[in-house]
Amino acid sequence: MSELTRAQIRDLMGEVMKAQGKELPSDDSADLREIGFRSLDFSELALRVEDEIGDELNFDAPGLRQIAKVGDVLDFIEQLQSA
Amino acid sequence: MSEPTLVPPSTVVLVSGGSRGLGLAFVNDLIDHGVKVAAFARSLTPELTALAEKYPDQVHVGALDINDEKAGQAFVKEVEAKLGPVDGIINNAAVGQDSLHVHTSADQIAHIIQTNLTAPLVLTRFVLRRMMAKGLKGRIVNITSICAQRGFPGLVAYSATKGGMDAATRSMARELGGRILVNSVAPGFFASEMSAVLGQTQLDQIVRRTPTGHLTEPEEVVPVVRMLLLDNTNINGQAIVIDGAAGI
Repeated sequence: MSELTRAQIRDLMGEVMKAQGKELPSDDSADLREIGFRSLDFSELALRVEDEIGDELNFDAPGLRQIAKVGDVLDFIEQLQSA
Repeated sequence: MSEPTLVPPSTVVLVSGGSRGLGLAFVNDLIDHGVKVAAFARSLTPELTALAEKYPDQVHVGALDINDEKAGQAFVKEVEAKLGPVDGIINNAAVGQDSLHVHTSADQIAHIIQTNLTAPLVLTRFVLRRMMAKGLKGRIVNITSICAQRGFPGLVAYSATKGGMDAATRSMARELGGRILVNSVAPGFFASEMSAVLGQTQLDQIVRRTPTGHLTEPEEVVPVVRMLLLDNTNINGQAIVIDGAAGI
């Protein structure tokens, strides 16, 4: 299956947060700590994306540590897909 | 009753991963203590090459991957011809990990296990066979990690290999019946490693929780390894943790 668009990744991110009773803000500059999106939530999102595209998105932790905002999450997943 | 026979100090020590960092520190220290050293790594550094040039009768070096079994065997034979039979090993070469288990590919897990567990066991087996065939006694030091005993995120496969080496250490010590002393040295995280992945706030917090007030430095590990290779201590089958009691 083809890569997900940024909007589709955002939808999946919203689903991850919704499952925890949280809401994903529309603003890409929202701080992940403030909205309660933790590193394991990122893992869950990555695994959901993998399910959709039918391929693994393996990555090292250092890149993950640079992620601070919603836009960073979307950028990172987009880059992983195209890597 | 027969007198117990001591295992003499090692005289020719094979060091894997000896080109930089902790491995190079072991090489330097053993040279300083008059021990012949054979060191190898995937690529030679100017530091290690310089030692081989400065001490041609005491040091032998080679560029080889520990996963290349045949190259490792050939290197051991070269060492025997140049320096004499190997009667000490420091299994130091290893690859690290910094990825959550669910995001680490199966190939990468296999590579970590091959490099950190299978390869040192295979190399050790080869050297042991040659030592035993010659009736030699000897000593083995496996460099493991605090990760073998405590859990840390991002280090699942790595921890498994280090725990595996600690377990192998105990079984080898039993199996070799005191003829070969086998121990592990398990450093805590080095300041240099931790600073690469943690912020200053987290580093300060770890230091505060460490009774000795500082993270482990390579020079604190070197004398323990030297003791296990050269001193008469009757230490055998142990995993010695060097972490300032951070892990207790």
